[in-house]
Amino acid sequence: MLHYLIKRIAFGALVLLGASLITFCIAFVIPADPAVAIAGVKADPHTLATIRTQLGLDRPLYIQYVRYVWRALHGDLGRSYARRQSVTGLIVARFPATAALAVSAMALSLILGTLGGLVAGAYRGRALDNLLLIASLILVSIPVFWLGTMFLVGAAAHFRWLPLGGFDGMRSLLMPSLALALGSAGYYSRILQANLAEVVGQDYIRAARAKGLSPVRVMLRHALANAILPLVTLAGLDFAGLLSGVVLTETVFNWPGLGRLAFEAVFNLDIPLIMGTVLFSAFLIVAANLVVDLLYAWLDPRTHLA
Amino acid sequence: MRGALRTVLFAAFAGALALTIGGCRADLPADSFPSGAAVLRLALADDVPTLDPAAGYDAASWEFEQVLYDTLVRYAADSNELRPDLALSWGISPDATVFTFHLRHDASFTNGRQVTSADVRYSIERVINPKTRSQGVQYFLPLLGAADFAAGRTPHARGIETPDPYTIIFRLDKPDPIFLHKLAMPFAAAVPKEVVERWGEDFARHAVGSGPFMLKQWLSGQRLILVKNPHYFLSGLPKLDAVVALIGVNEELQWLKFEAGEIDISSIPPAEFTYVMKTPRLKALTIHHVTAVTSYLGMNCQMPPFNDVRVRQAFNYAVNKPKLVAILNGRGVVARGVLPPGMPGYDPDISGYAYDPAKARRLLEEAGVRAGFAPVVWLTSDPTMLVLGQSIQQDLALVGINLVLKPVAWGPLLDAVREPHTAELFLLGWGADFPDPQNFLEVLFSKEQWGANNDTFYYDPKVQELLTEASVVADPKRRYELYQQIQQIIVNDAPWVFLYHPVAYVIRQPWVHGIRLHPLRPARLDYIYVTARGAEGEQTSGETNQTR
Amino acid sequence: MIRAGRLNWLEIVGGTIALSLVVVALFAPVIAPHDPTRAVAQTFGDPGPPSLAFPCGTDQLGRDVLSRLIYGARVSLIVGLSAMAVAMTVGVAAGLCAGFFGGWTEMVLMRLTDVMLTLPGLLLAMAFVAILRPSLLTILLVISLVSWTGVARVVRAETLSMTNRDFVLAARALGASAGRLMIRHVMPNIMPTVVVMAALSTSGTLLLDAGLSFLGLGVPPPTPSWGRMVEESQIYFRTAPWLAFFPGLAILYAVLGFNLLGYGFLRRRNPQ
Repeated sequence: MLHYLIKRIAFGALVLLGASLITFCIAFVIPADPAVAIAGVKADPHTLATIRTQLGLDRPLYIQYVRYVWRALHGDLGRSYARRQSVTGLIVARFPATAALAVSAMALSLILGTLGGLVAGAYRGRALDNLLLIASLILVSIPVFWLGTMFLVGAAAHFRWLPLGGFDGMRSLLMPSLALALGSAGYYSRILQANLAEVVGQDYIRAARAKGLSPVRVMLRHALANAILPLVTLAGLDFAGLLSGVVLTETVFNWPGLGRLAFEAVFNLDIPLIMGTVLFSAFLIVAANLVVDLLYAWLDPRTHLA
Repeated sequence: MRGALRTVLFAAFAGALALTIGGCRADLPADSFPSGAAVLRLALADDVPTLDPAAGYDAASWEFEQVLYDTLVRYAADSNELRPDLALSWGISPDATVFTFHLRHDASFTNGRQVTSADVRYSIERVINPKTRSQGVQYFLPLLGAADFAAGRTPHARGIETPDPYTIIFRLDKPDPIFLHKLAMPFAAAVPKEVVERWGEDFARHAVGSGPFMLKQWLSGQRLILVKNPHYFLSGLPKLDAVVALIGVNEELQWLKFEAGEIDISSIPPAEFTYVMKTPRLKALTIHHVTAVTSYLGMNCQMPPFNDVRVRQAFNYAVNKPKLVAILNGRGVVARGVLPPGMPGYDPDISGYAYDPAKARRLLEEAGVRAGFAPVVWLTSDPTMLVLGQSIQQDLALVGINLVLKPVAWGPLLDAVREPHTAELFLLGWGADFPDPQNFLEVLFSKEQWGANNDTFYYDPKVQELLTEASVVADPKRRYELYQQIQQIIVNDAPWVFLYHPVAYVIRQPWVHGIRLHPLRPARLDYIYVTARGAEGEQTSGETNQTR
Repeated sequence: MIRAGRLNWLEIVGGTIALSLVVVALFAPVIAPHDPTRAVAQTFGDPGPPSLAFPCGTDQLGRDVLSRLIYGARVSLIVGLSAMAVAMTVGVAAGLCAGFFGGWTEMVLMRLTDVMLTLPGLLLAMAFVAILRPSLLTILLVISLVSWTGVARVVRAETLSMTNRDFVLAARALGASAGRLMIRHVMPNIMPTVVVMAALSTSGTLLLDAGLSFLGLGVPPPTPSWGRMVEESQIYFRTAPWLAFFPGLAILYAVLGFNLLGYGFLRRRNPQ
């Protein structure tokens, strides 16, 4: 187990290093001049030159990279060009809003997805199953920014009860997390339905049925527990994705999260902030992968820890 | 296995709950003000970029910086007249090179320490210091010895003298009649050295100044709270006990919150503007003024065919400016020249270019520009800019020109327009920093500014000569005459398509008073006051939903 | 390569949607009632509601929304389909090579996909487009760049399961070259999977393109694009909601079409 763990962590670190290299390459093939991003619209060329020296932009690239990685290892992701604040600080400040959204969206999509998948599984091949198939296909096809906009249209008259945007207590979570959750709920329900179909064909379910247990009971007690496992993997990775910020949804709902931060960074070509947000989400995904794998290994004895 | 699953799910939900609650707690109003406190509630779309006066160079930062800090002199609430602030009196040498200020004795930072001339010197030297990376450095480099100080050769700038704690003298290397205005910019605001040095680059988050308000809380992306500075030296100011600004509330949402009476001052989103103007009750609550900004389509005068004045004039005739203003819901004034109305030296008699596509076609034909010519216009990917760009695209199509839009981020746009022979056309605006025509005409059209702010690479020997002459003239009448002459030549040469001067609108609740819009700066929060809500007759909330 | 037989209903509906889009895109100039870029109504700054003359209304620049929707199909399909084609080509090639050669090739290719899968797709695409400046080609390439990795993984897995099958081993024993083996023996057998993935990844590329446009990073105006139309109309969500409604519906229609096709193909392979 320990050996496996160490191996996995080392592997994750390697992947992260690769990710940092790629982001660094992106950042430095940029033809844009970060000095302008810092000095702003009205700065004169003299100021710009001073800033370039200040930032060490006149040093060789590999030195800049090594310096970057070294600092990143100490939790220092540099300073935002446009905001002049520490990137780590900005990420930490924006994380609660994003985390709240991620948690509620995840909970909603798991609940809705499991329900949909169970019903579809129970009525396999019948009209309701097909109806749910169409519904889930529609859900996964809706562009989230449009769904959000339509929510806003619908809620405009009730905005006092339902905040139309901004992170402002529990109620403000409802619309953005629902907009986020519906798509993945559709997806999860399909996955679950397919897994159920597979599990249901297996002997022990048949046996349970033969014992005269009710189909609902069989579904819940025996089939679901097995069919939901692959969903854990999927949801774990999705959750990491959600935690690293959702640009489109946050844009629609003015959500003060990491997605907005990343969007602003891209819009300003604020390189340290772009790199910081990209690396942070890569880190989350690597971590989630690790957790999910371990969880899976622990839950499913058939997996051999090699 | 089922047991394990259950544990996992339970753990996940418990964690989820904890996170959600934790997340929300951060958002509970951390401070409730005593009832009866005069609190102004604002909403902002984006976070305030900074509260460090050396760093901020935008309206959002300045709105708060100008009430958190003090400069030696400041503008009157709604005019360009300079008034005492930290300085009670001042004198200027006849050749406008030596400026002497006498400071008040009763100003102190909100950490309790008195503000002295040494603080003013430190603050300005901090801006000059390249380590600060301040955008304001350009305004103080004309101080004697500023370059030596910036290079680290001297401990202080020679041109700043502090003979005693209440006197400060500035010496410039050449006459500058508008230096006083530079000292009124937030860049020159006094900051306490000990606090700046304690927090370094994070000073913005722990801002301490001597102004009418002090920083109470700044939750990034969520909320900014300023409270009254009880020891502020001007009696009776500020009139509010606190200002609470919600962050991350876009224009549309601001409007809904305004209608519900949840915020006190709001901007008016484009979609609602027509309705507001048609509703007398709401219209009466709006306040507007023409900003000291000119929006323009720049043409690079060195790049063919725009080196031909006929082509540039043709573009001026071809663009339908009233249509642009209509797209802005009328929130603009068609520009006829460089200077915005309200700017000293503004010439109301300048005629500019009316919309005349036929004339445009004739001029283009004379200049030999063929139909199907497809120039590229550089612009920011800001939604408003893109809509305006598309409108210009429609207009030019009518005279046979297929304009190509090139939306980019700010940085690349500025890089491109500063590079010679790169951007033939670009959509930009220029806002005044000082109430002086030099700030438009010299900064944007002199040859020294090629590669900096003269993005059209315009050059005219006569204009150049007049600019040099005007810059050191201190007598306002003569000065403005010269600048009017310069402007007329530039308008005839048409390096820009003069588009419009934006008109800024805000709407207030009936209980909010004292909003005085300044021609150059954000409205000062210290003059605003509130009366009891609802005491002013009907509220704004509620009924509007029914009428629509 | 897909087993012939009666089309299932998913394929019929999905195919019809996809076909209708192609027709609309091809014949846009004939179908569209107006020029999508010209002002045809004087609704400057104040969008016009749907009417008989303009069934989907007019926007703040006085343009006919219906005509813009029709022309918008062009950009969406071009970007969506070509990005899919590029992503599939790269993904299949990488997956095949990794699965077939194993060793270092596999090591390098799969670690690269691991790294790419770690990076957030939309964010990466945004950054690239912002840096390279939006144009049809950059958007297309950037979308392919972030879309090929999933394909590569699946194809590798399928290839791995193939290489040990009897017919491949036999062909190899008979001295078939690696290229020949891959193209003649492995490819045909993974084709059904590839077709499913092609349909499903088209819906992915369409959504990514719409998302980029919505963020202002799509094909520059005046080329009508659905995502940008939603973005430009968002500020009118209270006074002119129809303006954002129709373009979003168009995106949904297109994405749904390809998702239906994908599930249809999937069901054909695996009737369960």
